[in-house]
Amino acid sequence: MSRRDGGRIPGPVRRVLEPFVDRTVAERVLISVAAILLSIAVGFVIVLVSGRVAECSTAAWTMPVTGLGFCYDPFEVYAVLFNGALGYPLAIGEPGLFNPSWTPFNLSFGLTLSETTLLIFTGLSVAVAFRAGLFNIGTQGQLVVGALATALTVLALTSVLPTGPVSGVLVVVVGTLAGAVGGGLWGAIPGALKAYADANEVITTIMLNFVAANVAYVLVLEVFRAEGSSVVATRYVPEYAQFRPWLFPNSSDFALLALAVGVAFIGALYYLVEHTPFGYDLRTSGVQAAAAEYGGVNAKLTTVRAMTLSGALGGVGGAVWVLMSEGRWIESVPDLGFDGITVSILAGNNPLGVLPAAFLFGILKGGALEIGFRTDVPTELVGVLRGLIILFVAMPEFFRMAGRYAGLRSGGPGESGGSGGTADDLDGDDGPTGGAAAPTERGEADA
Amino acid sequence: MRNPLADVTAPVLDDLIEDDYVRSLVVGVVGTLGALGLLGLLFPESIAGDLAGIVFSTGTAASTARLAAPIVLAGLGGIFAEKSGVINIGLEGLLIISAFASVYIASVVGIGNAILGVPAIWAGFLAGIVASTLLAGVFAVVCIEFKADQIIAGLAVWLIALGLAPFMSTVFFGGVNTPNLGASVGWRYSAVMVVVATAGSWWTLNHTAFGKHLRASGENPKALDTVGVSVSRVRYAGVLLSGVLSGVGGSALALSIGQFVGSGETMVQGKGFIAIVAYLFGNYNPLGTLGAGVLFAALDATQIRLQQLGYAVPDTLVQTIPYVVVIVVLALVGRTRIPAAAGEHYETEE
Repeated sequence: MSRRDGGRIPGPVRRVLEPFVDRTVAERVLISVAAILLSIAVGFVIVLVSGRVAECSTAAWTMPVTGLGFCYDPFEVYAVLFNGALGYPLAIGEPGLFNPSWTPFNLSFGLTLSETTLLIFTGLSVAVAFRAGLFNIGTQGQLVVGALATALTVLALTSVLPTGPVSGVLVVVVGTLAGAVGGGLWGAIPGALKAYADANEVITTIMLNFVAANVAYVLVLEVFRAEGSSVVATRYVPEYAQFRPWLFPNSSDFALLALAVGVAFIGALYYLVEHTPFGYDLRTSGVQAAAAEYGGVNAKLTTVRAMTLSGALGGVGGAVWVLMSEGRWIESVPDLGFDGITVSILAGNNPLGVLPAAFLFGILKGGALEIGFRTDVPTELVGVLRGLIILFVAMPEFFRMAGRYAGLRSGGPGESGGSGGTADDLDGDDGPTGGAAAPTERGEADA
Repeated sequence: MRNPLADVTAPVLDDLIEDDYVRSLVVGVVGTLGALGLLGLLFPESIAGDLAGIVFSTGTAASTARLAAPIVLAGLGGIFAEKSGVINIGLEGLLIISAFASVYIASVVGIGNAILGVPAIWAGFLAGIVASTLLAGVFAVVCIEFKADQIIAGLAVWLIALGLAPFMSTVFFGGVNTPNLGASVGWRYSAVMVVVATAGSWWTLNHTAFGKHLRASGENPKALDTVGVSVSRVRYAGVLLSGVLSGVGGSALALSIGQFVGSGETMVQGKGFIAIVAYLFGNYNPLGTLGAGVLFAALDATQIRLQQLGYAVPDTLVQTIPYVVVIVVLALVGRTRIPAAAGEHYETEE
């Protein structure tokens, strides 16, 4: 990997910088950014077209020159989406660029960061499996199981332990561990099925999502339902046993501590994947299972371990969802696991990439609420954007072709990555194509 | 020169009668139904009696046909795509988009009106097919032209449809659920379409040159290329066919009720994923897919009727059965054999 900067930069610094200067990484970042921009452009057109066909009394936006009126203002939509998700730091349409009364500790930004925190865990969950050549679509189910395990454990513990901050810390730690165990066991099932029975993990994890949702629902409905509750949910976890929001408003459901834990997880996962023997096993069996086996890696065991670790991360996501966001297990579990897939794909399955990717999807989530408040545009637009981003990230070849077509052959580092990307992918690095193609190739060869 | 295609063997489809897997599936279903019927006749007052009454009633048959149409049709589409070498995990998205488009166009034309002599509801039906085929076309271009990872692109198709259908519903109707059309397509049409599509797919796959090309494209694209047939073209055809068939399924689903429901997972509710399960369960055989799809639908229909009769069956658990069955089948019984080159991009050799 250090073929370009060899020797000039001291070792530790180089190790930190490497992922950012490596050509495939630069190319991946470029493709992700291009995919986001292209999605925004397509979303712009969708807003325009639907604004033309929708019915409204006064036009929200009139196209210059043509004088056509549109019900939705596409510029306003994006201004509200990105500005609103941060709590309006920019004062649009008013004198002065910045909003003087803005503080980072506002409700909207809190909601955005809350979503970011949860997506860090589910994104890491999917990314770890991806690196091992496994497509874990089951993070959602692992999150559901982990969340239930956490809720039940914490409820059981708080009913025996004395109330107080010390037992609060203990309960949160044990509850999070319970989530990890629950999710890990649920993730181990498709891992073992894949390793020892050749069952394609894409199918089994999709199925296990449905099973997890249904079984957890019935368990809570029949056994653990809070008395007098109109929805299918457990009792609330006492406040001292939750991640409490500091600085941010209570209703934002965001705890800085949880975000810090998430960032620490990112660092730990990066180290684990890139700099430990287990990480080496993981990556080699992801790139070329047969070669890994030949090189002394126990591919079957690695598969089970990778899925268990992936499931455990999803379970921790569920624990944080219970202890930070919801305060209890409730039937309407948000699609955090599915969004984790999109986060991981956008991040190129690199743990370090998970942070910006999770933040982007956090913004989309927080911004969607603002779009609902401030504009007439249906908030489902954000769901469309999510799908488009994934579609475009999945087709790096499109951007390479576009780059070649535009004649950008020898520009900056990004462009040089663009033209040399195909060769780099063949190196067996973990690009979006490399990492993603690996599971399908293996799946098909084995199944 | 030897014909390279002669080496291409289709593992399961060659001869249905000799297929142990399909035979045991058929025997199992017939046996279970027979035992149930016998028990019902012998003990009409017991739960077996009630159950037999439900299973053999026309009401259940009707709702089975309604529920089976999207599963079986999307499953058949999935066979065409995957046999050609493109794994289409976006069937769910195709069902969603066609369900919405069919209801939307039917309501634009207006029930009672006709466009070019086609009554509104059938115009809607066609629109659903067109919408699904277009989306499948996008998926095909992305996968074949731009070499996208098929699984990720398929997920994207699902997510786009999951966002776009409720989005457009809100734009046009002011809510994620459309108002009811006040007219619907009868269950008999659904049943006929399912049977015709199954028979047609079986014939196409096994007794036409196109079927042979399709299988070769998924098993050994190089051989197909060598005999001068364009692999890309065959794969486009396979994916577009999955769009057409899913479109029929999605339209049938929405128009049999006369409404599109876009809240949560939308009215499709994972039927596209069950369709994948159905064709895997049927081992890429259209008849097996029909059997599996009808089985899953019948299970659901029976469960709904049992609820109405006052049996306290936790419906959620009954709905879980197909998923568990699939996992067990995948793990223990039938290792379904995915086409060798499915999921891989094929580069034409000049």
